[in-house]
Amino acid sequence: MKKLLALPLTFALAASALAACGPQEDSSSTGGKKETASDKPEKLVIWEDQEKGAGTEDAIKKFEEKHGIKVELKEIPMLDQQEKLRLDGPAKKGPDVITTPHDRVGPLAIEGLIAPIEISDDVTKLYTESSINALTYDGKLYGLPKSTETPVFIYNKKQMTEAPESLDDVLAFSKGDKGGAQYGFLANWTDFYFANGILSGYGSYVFKDDNGTLNPEDLGLANEGAVEGLDYITSWYKDGLFPKGIIGEKAGQTIDGLFQEGKVASVMNGPWSFQGYKDAGIDIGVAPMPKLPNGEYVKTFIGVKGYNVSAFSENQEWAAKLVEFITNEESAKTRFEKTAEIPPVVSLMEDPLIADNEAAKAVAVQSERGVPMPNIPEMAEVWAPAANALQLSATGKSEPKAALESAVKTIGQNIKANHSK
Amino acid sequence: MTHRKTAALLSIIPGMGQFYNKQFVKGFAFLFLAVCYFIAFLDFLNIGLWGIVTLGTEVPRDHSIFLLVNGVISILVVGIGLAFYYFNLYDAYQNGKKRDNGLELSTLKEQYHNVVDKGFPYLMVGPGFLLLIFVVIFPIIFMLLLAFTNYNLYNSPPAKLVDWVGFKNFIEIFSLDIWRETFVSVFAWTIIWTFTATTLQVAVGIFLAVVLNQKEIKFKGVIRTLLILPWAVPAFVSILIFSGLFNDTFGAINQSILAPLGIDSLPWMTDPFYTKIALIFIQSWLGFPFVMAMTTGVLQSIPGELYEAATVDGASNWDKFRKITLPMILFTTAPILITQYTFNFNNFNVIYLFNNGGPAVADQNAGGTDILISWIYNLTMTSAQYSKAAAVTVLLSLIIVSLALWQFRKTKSFKDEGMI
Repeated sequence: MKKLLALPLTFALAASALAACGPQEDSSSTGGKKETASDKPEKLVIWEDQEKGAGTEDAIKKFEEKHGIKVELKEIPMLDQQEKLRLDGPAKKGPDVITTPHDRVGPLAIEGLIAPIEISDDVTKLYTESSINALTYDGKLYGLPKSTETPVFIYNKKQMTEAPESLDDVLAFSKGDKGGAQYGFLANWTDFYFANGILSGYGSYVFKDDNGTLNPEDLGLANEGAVEGLDYITSWYKDGLFPKGIIGEKAGQTIDGLFQEGKVASVMNGPWSFQGYKDAGIDIGVAPMPKLPNGEYVKTFIGVKGYNVSAFSENQEWAAKLVEFITNEESAKTRFEKTAEIPPVVSLMEDPLIADNEAAKAVAVQSERGVPMPNIPEMAEVWAPAANALQLSATGKSEPKAALESAVKTIGQNIKANHSK
Repeated sequence: MTHRKTAALLSIIPGMGQFYNKQFVKGFAFLFLAVCYFIAFLDFLNIGLWGIVTLGTEVPRDHSIFLLVNGVISILVVGIGLAFYYFNLYDAYQNGKKRDNGLELSTLKEQYHNVVDKGFPYLMVGPGFLLLIFVVIFPIIFMLLLAFTNYNLYNSPPAKLVDWVGFKNFIEIFSLDIWRETFVSVFAWTIIWTFTATTLQVAVGIFLAVVLNQKEIKFKGVIRTLLILPWAVPAFVSILIFSGLFNDTFGAINQSILAPLGIDSLPWMTDPFYTKIALIFIQSWLGFPFVMAMTTGVLQSIPGELYEAATVDGASNWDKFRKITLPMILFTTAPILITQYTFNFNNFNVIYLFNNGGPAVADQNAGGTDILISWIYNLTMTSAQYSKAAAVTVLLSLIIVSLALWQFRKTKSFKDEGMI
């Protein structure tokens, strides 16, 4: 019986194996780049960040009128877009343009989900250099910037009459009467995102910038400047000006809570926090970060949100044109009016619309002083060890130099483990 | 040649054997099914089986992960096809045998009744089982296969192809220093966490249930209700509140409980040791009401005569607890207690929500209180090390499945005979 069955079974297996010779069709059916500019598509699809559609609608209408191409706008939370594109793209249901925070540009480009775009220098000159750098990976431009954000100095006007010039003044204020608050100034400096401003201001860097290309093998987080910077950060904790309760994962929430209760006179935080503070009834003032004791500016991390062209788009040239159109000066201005997103457009920095808006002006000025967050995927390995070093130093468990050297070693190991190609 | 052999051989083409046995309707049905199977699946199987072997050969036409998915489904479909094919051969052979032995073959009506009578349970289970194959078995196979690929950020489709790499991921977890050290320390803490947290929650639950079951206690209902409350509040809410309570400077634990007692602030969130203590405490808080409720039920079903007899024999209260109450409780609840252990082994919520696996510790890939499952989460979400994460998941599953199996088999309550 068994023998009898074995024969047809092997036959069936062999047959299926023989049949399995793969796709016979030619590969010419895929690849979206063959369209020429003259082939106008009927429709382009753009994925906009949630609740930000209002800022882009006008520009889209004008684009439709000008080119006669219908543009469909869908609002999808920005951080969900990449995940969706991964599945919708290959299924040909994806968009032509997506919205992305710039630190995702590197990984997305490696994965092949977004396509580089050809934009003339005349156009790129419109935007701040750092925002264009932020959207460039491996020497290729992957999109155009829509908005920029970076941590700034936010103060409670009831407790602090005007923003201090330097952090030394802030220190004196914190050691003095604090305007009646419990703390003069709090910042989440055990979170590397905020702390890097200080470290970079003293001369550190995360990855060495070799003419626009970041070198993941050259780590600058344990150089002299970094140690000096961490020494400075640690002094705030050592003197008890920063309580232990704002160390670690939940520090940001704690600081927000204290500021909203009026217990802190000033904090370092990004534009995303403005509304929450205002809702809590705090009369806030916003200024660029005060200068460091060494006279340098605080070089905060800049985040740039940009529009990128999907690699699955069959009309990449037209998609690039759409990106160019909805980020141009006029569109950016409308966007700022509607959604208060601060555009990194050089000419708008001087525009009264932004120059007279204290908060927007502060963010715009600080953005020019900062450095873009690295957009290479190796950055994912930096956050945890760097935060670790900051925590160990802030709690006094480790000397700044030792903590940073250990972090750089771990980052190097993890980059080797996770990113060797 | 005997009928059975001829029929079986003819059934190499499904249905032919049945025709030979003069069961035309059945034969036609088999042939029809087989033809449908090939028409419907041939292309899909072709791509799928080719895909799972090669994982694609050309970018951007081939998307390795989709091919892998197609391949796994193809294998499942082939499996179902082979099962049908085997049944077809078996049927032809059996009916041929009947003819050889000079027995009457069933008529169509009889066959129908046969199927309905004997096959009824299978007919009922069938659809659910089929669904189970695709909803449960399929993702497990997919994950298992992923552990043997090099799928990570740098080999991601559509830009690149994924390749089979054999046991490379497993070897690397044990051979590369940073991976090995992290794995060992995370694994050690996972084990300690599982045993202390679960044992504590079980012990507290049983203790409270026994105490509440004493006749002398008044207001049982009220006390029970109060003690059940931690279970009634959604766990994630409790955990988030606890993470506020344990804050080093502003938390109520340090400020309002320890300070009046004259104890200095403890670094609950910044020192791995204290974070671990806090986590174990929180899990006990979250877990004991369930054990207590369950044990209360068991206690009420223990016959009073047992205790009366023990009293007559001069047993002390402790003796009664040790020799009667505890064995009865453990006997009835053992399977559920085991699942409590396996649950905590993979208790992602508490670890992640309380301190996100932190505080960070030097020289490893994971936080100081990360357990295997939260480490896997980080590997996937921050480092895009999909294949490594799959490999760690395979190791984790091996451990948990073998432990659970071993414990289940040792537990008396799974044997047929009762204790009483």
